[in-house]
Amino acid sequence: MALFDQPSSPVTPARRPGRAPGPAPGPRRRFKDNPVALFVGILLLVAALIGMMALATRSSRFSPDFLTEFVLYALSVVDLTMLVALGFMLARSVIKLVVEQRRALPFARFRAKLVTALLAMTLVPAVLVLLVGSELISNSVDRWFNAPMADVLESAQRIASDYYRERQAQATDEADRIARRLAALDLAADDVTRVRDAVAPAVTDHRVSLVEVYRLTRVPGTAPGVVAVVDLASPRLPAGANRASADRLAARAAAGQPDLWVQEPLPAGGELIRVAAVVRRPDGAAVGVVVATDHLTGDFATRARRMTRAYEQYSQLQVLKQPLTAVYLSFFLMVTLLILVSATWMGLYLAKRITRPVQALATAAREIGAGHFDHRVERETADEFGSLVDAFNSMADELATSRRQLERSAGDLQRKHAEVEERRQYTAAVLDRVATGVVTLDGAGRVSTVNPAAARLLSLGPEAVGQAAAGVFARHDLTPLAPLALGGSALSREAPAQEIALVREGREIHLAAAATPLVGEPQAPDGRVLVLDDITPLIRAQKVAAWREVARRLAHEIKNPLTPIQLCAQRLQRQFAGAPDPVRGLVDECTATIVGEVDALKALVDEFSQFARMPAPRRLPTDLHELLRGTVTLYNGLFTDVRIETLFAVALPPVRLDPDQIRRVVINLIDNAIEALAQRGQIVIETHHVPPEPTVRIVVADDGPGIPVEERDKLFMPYYSTKKRGSGLGLAIVRRIVAEHGGTIEVADAQPRGTRFTIDIPVEGDPVIQAGEW
Amino acid sequence: MMGTRWLVLFVAAWVGAAGEPAEVHVSTVARDGRVHVSCTVTGGLTPDLGQALQSGLTTTLTYDVELRRAVSVWFDRGLAASTVSASARFDTLTGRYQVTRSVDGRIEDSRVSELRGDVERFVTSFDRLPLFGTATLEANVEYVVRVRLRARPRVNWLLWPFNRSDASGLARFTFIP
Repeated sequence: MALFDQPSSPVTPARRPGRAPGPAPGPRRRFKDNPVALFVGILLLVAALIGMMALATRSSRFSPDFLTEFVLYALSVVDLTMLVALGFMLARSVIKLVVEQRRALPFARFRAKLVTALLAMTLVPAVLVLLVGSELISNSVDRWFNAPMADVLESAQRIASDYYRERQAQATDEADRIARRLAALDLAADDVTRVRDAVAPAVTDHRVSLVEVYRLTRVPGTAPGVVAVVDLASPRLPAGANRASADRLAARAAAGQPDLWVQEPLPAGGELIRVAAVVRRPDGAAVGVVVATDHLTGDFATRARRMTRAYEQYSQLQVLKQPLTAVYLSFFLMVTLLILVSATWMGLYLAKRITRPVQALATAAREIGAGHFDHRVERETADEFGSLVDAFNSMADELATSRRQLERSAGDLQRKHAEVEERRQYTAAVLDRVATGVVTLDGAGRVSTVNPAAARLLSLGPEAVGQAAAGVFARHDLTPLAPLALGGSALSREAPAQEIALVREGREIHLAAAATPLVGEPQAPDGRVLVLDDITPLIRAQKVAAWREVARRLAHEIKNPLTPIQLCAQRLQRQFAGAPDPVRGLVDECTATIVGEVDALKALVDEFSQFARMPAPRRLPTDLHELLRGTVTLYNGLFTDVRIETLFAVALPPVRLDPDQIRRVVINLIDNAIEALAQRGQIVIETHHVPPEPTVRIVVADDGPGIPVEERDKLFMPYYSTKKRGSGLGLAIVRRIVAEHGGTIEVADAQPRGTRFTIDIPVEGDPVIQAGEW
Repeated sequence: MMGTRWLVLFVAAWVGAAGEPAEVHVSTVARDGRVHVSCTVTGGLTPDLGQALQSGLTTTLTYDVELRRAVSVWFDRGLAASTVSASARFDTLTGRYQVTRSVDGRIEDSRVSELRGDVERFVTSFDRLPLFGTATLEANVEYVVRVRLRARPRVNWLLWPFNRSDASGLARFTFIP
């Protein structure tokens, strides 16, 4: 198990889209998630506690040596192991909590508080119980060794020991006395009866219970041996005395070893105190050994041994007081540590069990918040947490369903938006390209859009967008449009198309204007669309057509009678050729006048006829500069005070035009200029082309007196002339030629003075030329 | 107060564990095909052990004797090991001591004495015990006899009861056949 293992999150991993959501089988349960293992662990813990209780109950039966040697070792091992385990668990938990807090993991603080509380609830009482219990144990052990008890036991032991030693001393004295008595006898040669008689008084007088006499046997080079000579026992002596014990004692005495007494327990109870004494002749030579045996009754021996045993046990306990105390303290410490380890582990486990579902829910909530709607939390328990997990999963299901619906709706919306955007772009492109001006106003009466045509027709800049329409149309040249644009009280009603004339820079512009309200869903006005068509050319065309019709009729109606009138006048002149001079002079004068006026009328009618029957231009690829140079050449030397200057562009694109008609246009403009200059001044003919403009520009400018602004609009109308002589059709024909070439002609002031005619003719390939429309 | 008690116990445990250092004097003699080892422990029968002995507890001093071949710049190589155990038991009723010495589990000597001094000498020393054979020893090679002493019963509480020995000593000798 890694120290910093990630908490086993029951959050299922993200699934691929399309898979049915639902709790997937979780990872393999670890030990602490396995209820069977937990149950077995708890059983083992309970068994350990029961075992320890049994051990504690039976500890009094164990010998102190066993307790201090084996049990203390075992307890120390267990204590150290559990102490290490406890330290490891606490250190691991603390490190994990610190790491979790530093990583700002969810519920880290809550888990830290929970763990701290559970540990405190476990550690504090356990440590207190340990301290109090250890104090009680120490005090109890101290009370074992109180002074009265020690005195009693020591006195009892001393009584028993003294009596025992006294009996031993008595037996020793008797053995010595018998040995001295036997010194006068020859143990090897004398009659056994004499020896028995010598030792009998000690037995019959009950000074000893048994006397055994041995004589020494000597084999050169070996230790002296003993041979039993006689033994005399008191009738009170119980059976079971071991003869071999006396033999060994006698042998030791014969060998001259010290410590010539032994005690020998009897099978029937009681003890024998055997004392050996060496029988020596008067010359000091050892000839035999006497073993005197005193019998201690069973009751006395048992009591003496019991008193001694009690004293020894007490003394041993006193000697082993410290390790014994340690045993009980270690035992108590072991139980405490076992409880601590178990409780700590259980506390940590509970803390994890409590926080893990919440952590899992928080993690899953974050995942769902991040858009992973297929995340689910595995239900682990059937308690309230399980219900919470179920509710969460249901919520996640609903969110996933809603998300899918939203995604579908968003897809539809995006599709529709794309369509709308496509339409909008198409509409915008159309509005940008169309010659009709369109101005939209929003519901608040502000200008929303102004297409280029409208901007050009109304001379509105981009700054007009967003401004109040009332302010925009309050401009003096746009005021005629204001009622239609603003709509007044009838904002929601569609106004009929109107022809509105605007005067701008002295020119009259005729617009066909119509306003249509924009109606929103609730049938409430949502703005207004103002549509403007420049019908000025149409008006002009209508006027020209009317004048052409007039010219055609005039030519037809006037020209027909002119020839007869002229013929009649010439006939009259011939008839009165022979008439007297006054008459002939009068007739000649009158007929000459008639003929001259008829010629003038014919010329006038021819011009009208030419205006009415002007042929369609025959467009040919033409070098415009060459055409202009050739035209200017016609004026070389004619007007000495008029200087004609050409300022041509570096390069012009190819143009298709009718050279004769365009030459006529240029000649007409130069003639007008020369006339305006009164044959003194400067005329400049320029050409321009600015790519990608689809037109070439011809400018004819003079530095004459100029044309008043108010007359400029009428300048191109037929039968309008500022000259004393003239049909007034020259500029009308010029305009018609330019128009039939798809171009435009404008008149403006030249700088610093004079008049400036500007002709724009489409270049080759322009659709206007190809269409050939006017 | 309770904390003080624990502190005292811990200090006593450490002091008891440390104790007064016993000195183990080891001497060896290689003769007659055997390595004879003599050992004397100064301060081996501590007052605590003496009290334990007087209380009737069987007091045992175990000598783990190892014969090792000295290896320079490395651990000595073990050749043979033997355990000498000397135990004494005091009969408080008779006032006599029963002492026994065994070598590798075999009882080599058993005595009864009433003299405490004899008993102390018996359990804290042994003289020229032929513990190892010389058949496997190489001539003119330095060998080490190390003796580790363990005394039982433990009358002190040891926090770390896993010491292999209470005291130790060694003797070096060069085997000359």
